[in-house]
Amino acid sequence: MTSTLWPLVELAARPLECDEREAVLGDALESGDGTWQTLSSVFGLVLRRQLLLWKSWRPWLAVFVLGLPGAYLLMIVSISVTCTYDRLMGMKVGHWAPTGHEGFALLLCHIFLLIAWSWASGFTLGSLSPKTLWLNAALCLLMVPICDDHLRTMTLSRFAQYLFLLPAIWGVYQGVRTVRLKRTTAFLLAATITVLMIAAWTNGALWIGNWLLLCPAWFLVAMARGAGNDSNAAQNTSMAGRARSY
Amino acid sequence: MLGEFEYLLITTAARLGDNAYGAAIREGIEEIAQRKCSIGALYTTIERLEAKGLLTTWMGEATAERGGRAKRMVRVTGKGTRAAKEFYDAVMRVSSGASWAVSRPERLS
Repeated sequence: MTSTLWPLVELAARPLECDEREAVLGDALESGDGTWQTLSSVFGLVLRRQLLLWKSWRPWLAVFVLGLPGAYLLMIVSISVTCTYDRLMGMKVGHWAPTGHEGFALLLCHIFLLIAWSWASGFTLGSLSPKTLWLNAALCLLMVPICDDHLRTMTLSRFAQYLFLLPAIWGVYQGVRTVRLKRTTAFLLAATITVLMIAAWTNGALWIGNWLLLCPAWFLVAMARGAGNDSNAAQNTSMAGRARSY
Repeated sequence: MLGEFEYLLITTAARLGDNAYGAAIREGIEEIAQRKCSIGALYTTIERLEAKGLLTTWMGEATAERGGRAKRMVRVTGKGTRAAKEFYDAVMRVSSGASWAVSRPERLS
């Protein structure tokens, strides 16, 4: 085994589960396989593992129903919030047309909704399909130039459309660790978002497409665990259990 | 009904007994079947068979020749043994009378 290229093999094996990585790399060392052979074997295994994930509905829902449309909508909301803030501060905003009547109360409502939508979307993605998060991130990155052309106004900061990222990443992090919220917590979150959305809608401060951002919050309610049920998929440490996780 | 590769894997693991783990099973399959066995095919099949309850696995000891990395040990379950026996019987039944099938001793006598 060429030791100089071994870190490359270890890097390629990173997406594998810890125990499986240990066993596979150990087997390759014991068998005395060449570095390139080991590398292609590891790539093959990683590819098989990724393909197997797509036999479930979860990654499809996470990536194509929630992830990409959600990211696009949240970019629009981020720009809307920045525009409203800039206008209220007396700055020139350009041709961007806000959805609502401007006022500090509605701005605060929008900011809260942006954080809540982003967090709920991130949490849903993190808990639904943690192993395809990298694909979600890659596709969102591919979407950035398209969204740049459509959304950004010349007068806004380049980062205006990414306001949602921080709460979304926070949500993803918690979703991966917690997997399921308690039913009361999930219900409170979804109910608060719904009430604020209705308030914003009646004031003409919500675009119809924003209602789609309510889906992750109610999805969390549907997936929430009851008070007496403490079972948690993340706590399943058996190898078969981990194989079935997504 | 098992697949061909699944049968090869279970049979090799059963022959190896307490020494059945990834690298040894792979070597065994390559030696008996005279064909290459990729790590990807091996580990995805082990996982599938374990999910079906035909194998159990656990992390074993680490050795110096493996760079201090642990082995994934494999054991065939009772259900796995029965599935392999069914496959073997089916192959024997379907092969009887075929020109390439080796005649059984009782038929020769």
